[in-house]
Amino acid sequence: MSNSALGAAAVSIGVACALAGIVVVALGLAGRRPKWFSDASLLVAVMAAAGVIAFAVMERALITRDFTVAFVAEHGSHQTPALFNFATLWSALEGSIILWTLILCGYVVAVVRKFRDRRDDPMVAWALLTLFVVCLFFFGLMLGPAAPFGTFDPPIGYDGPGPNPLLQNHILMAFHPPVLYLGYVGFTVPFAFAISALVTGRVGEGWLLITRRWTVMAWGFLTLGIVLGAWWSYETLGWGGYWAWDPVENASFLPWLTGTAYLHSVMVQERRGMLRVWNLSLVVSTFSLTILGTFITRSGVLQSVHAFVESGIGPAILSFFALIVVVSLGLIAWRGDELRAPGSIDSPVSREGAFLANNVAFAAFAFVVLLGTIFPLIVEAIDGRTISVGNPYFDRMTMPIGFVLLFMMGVAPVLPWRKASGEVLSQRLIWPAWIGAAAMVIAALIGARGWAPMLAFGLGGFAGGAAARQLVLATRRQGWRGFVGRTNGGMIVHFGVVLIAVAFAASNAYVRQGEFNLLPGQTAELSGHTLTYEGSDFREYSNRSERTARISIDGGQAYEPGIATYPFAGQTIGVPSVRSTWRDDVALSVLKFPEGANDAVLLRATIQPLVVWLWIGGLVMAAGTVLAVMPGRRRNPLLPVSAPVETHEPIDVPQ
Amino acid sequence: MSSGDEAPQPRPVLWVVAAVSVVAALLLLLLATGKPASERATDGRILGRVAPLIEGPTIDNGWYDIDQLRGQWVVVNFFSTTCVPCIREHPELVKFDQRHAPTGDASVVSISFDDSADAVIEFFADNGGDWPVLTENTGSVAVNYGVTAVPESYLVAPSGIVAAKLVGGVTADDLDGQMARLTQEASS
Repeated sequence: MSNSALGAAAVSIGVACALAGIVVVALGLAGRRPKWFSDASLLVAVMAAAGVIAFAVMERALITRDFTVAFVAEHGSHQTPALFNFATLWSALEGSIILWTLILCGYVVAVVRKFRDRRDDPMVAWALLTLFVVCLFFFGLMLGPAAPFGTFDPPIGYDGPGPNPLLQNHILMAFHPPVLYLGYVGFTVPFAFAISALVTGRVGEGWLLITRRWTVMAWGFLTLGIVLGAWWSYETLGWGGYWAWDPVENASFLPWLTGTAYLHSVMVQERRGMLRVWNLSLVVSTFSLTILGTFITRSGVLQSVHAFVESGIGPAILSFFALIVVVSLGLIAWRGDELRAPGSIDSPVSREGAFLANNVAFAAFAFVVLLGTIFPLIVEAIDGRTISVGNPYFDRMTMPIGFVLLFMMGVAPVLPWRKASGEVLSQRLIWPAWIGAAAMVIAALIGARGWAPMLAFGLGGFAGGAAARQLVLATRRQGWRGFVGRTNGGMIVHFGVVLIAVAFAASNAYVRQGEFNLLPGQTAELSGHTLTYEGSDFREYSNRSERTARISIDGGQAYEPGIATYPFAGQTIGVPSVRSTWRDDVALSVLKFPEGANDAVLLRATIQPLVVWLWIGGLVMAAGTVLAVMPGRRRNPLLPVSAPVETHEPIDVPQ
Repeated sequence: MSSGDEAPQPRPVLWVVAAVSVVAALLLLLLATGKPASERATDGRILGRVAPLIEGPTIDNGWYDIDQLRGQWVVVNFFSTTCVPCIREHPELVKFDQRHAPTGDASVVSISFDDSADAVIEFFADNGGDWPVLTENTGSVAVNYGVTAVPESYLVAPSGIVAAKLVGGVTADDLDGQMARLTQEASS
């Protein structure tokens, strides 16, 4: 059986299972089929097997260079090295849908396994129904608009162009998309339970506890995926930056913002039973934004450096997005008012008050980014002009919000629930404040200037101090367990955020870039570093030929930026080379090689301080996420919260 | 957050949902009607203008000059022998050429992109097609037309104006349909 036929069969089986799953669960909910859960489990297993087979068949076709599969003919090549050949699957639209579906199937299997003991719970049934619908959509995409298993009749001796050269020159390409997808797709599970909670009307705290870890894990993967993407772009694109507010970057950042807001506001609901509708809305928004991001990335409607090639998949995804929005808004409109919690926030100066402010800031952040992303479309719809919204807008609009969030990160962790007295506050904030001040003084002493980065360093120190305070207190009480659990893991995530914020501020504020024409043996100076052009080399690889310049930095080891030509893809790309130290990065890229032997090479050097801390910060955030999902010490429910509970006020009674 | 326990039940969530629905509907409308970015970028540049000059030796040692072909439709096809969609569309171009060769109301010219002349000659020997093919100095022609990726085809009207840009592989029926539509638009 050919790979195409096998793959297409797997896709059809997946569609059939998802359809049958919807029917079985619906019958179960209608009470017509008492043993629906075991049937549904079986269907999930077969569907997941279909997902695995689709993935495996495409990988087999890629590895054996089976050009009778159109996808392989269009994106594979004998010349591609093994690792990138494996990663070719997610380098183009159709394959990326296979990966997405595979991950989705994995999550559904995990849900079924996890809830096999709660099979009689309508909450689980509705969630499973929602998951089947999402599965049906993605398998359906592979059946029609993004069919990966089309056939091709290759002429004798045919060899494909291979994946886009930019996607086969850095190892991070093998990890960034799968990790990002683990994040994107992971939000399907909390979404399914949010829909289920709305349908069943059980918007008590049950569904939150069910999905807490799922959400945190999905968020952690999304965070890591975004950071890996920034790292990849920094290492391969050679423009010296790592974040450009490109529509596709924004598409991944939007669900991150709403997801982060949710992770905070959910604690208010758990403790105080408030913000229920808001939390549901955030979960729904996060999932909707992942689908919207999929649309932006794949429809070609917005100009972007790494949008997928235009395809007919746009209308399908947009329709699905519309369906999600209509169903969710309908459910919230139907249930919303009866679900609203009693009680109100006692004082703005309290943990819940801080979380509310945090949510306002994150919502504003998301709005600003979304508006900037689609603004070109709005302008064009109104008066037909084509414009682009660049960094100045995003930088100016998001910077104040970033400062507010950093400040909140310092204040919120020390605030007690319900109400804080000024005395408590000043006592708890004194150390973080000193650390913040010290950070500013040290920064000034080593030569930092400018109010914006200085403010970022100060607030970073403040927020880091508050996180450290919590961890010190927790480890004093509980030993090593003071690092695990949601609050403590969350503080480690905060450390990561502080590292990224400080590194972002420093690298943006103190970047120095220069372009130099250098003859062999000549030296250029930039920002305290000397760059010496020693000579050039030419190398042939299986998939490319590369011309590189040997540049020694500060008289030390030579770095070799160059230009690579991929003959089969018919493309030439720059290959930057970066020297990273804990203090600063020197990123080199060759803009032009000489025509004659004695001409100069045109070199661009970008020197930015602290860049490496961005990646370290990302890893710290990921580590903190892992610690946060590990079971920490449970709060004894009999212990009072920080301020005495007034007994006449119900905490958690649905209206 | 007010608790909403006063007598006439206020329904703030409903109002918020209504407002959000309006915004979401506008967003959907915007996204659904937005033209692809690539079209926006290149449409204005070439469409409706006089076709940039295509002149030079062909692979069968002839000489081609697009301006000699005023009065008939010309399909300017940019391709490469290693590109899959190009290989796929080739039979359609053959069909189109054969359909119009007797009447002489339309012709095809192919311009290779990043290919050696030998590979192109072999490609045409294997796949058929005997219309003019240019392989030399084609880079500047591609730039003048604003080609971003092969295959890409341009329909040049009998007046010598670029009337349509077709991204990706074409079919013979597609080309005829475009010609019919454009003729009708011009006459109405």
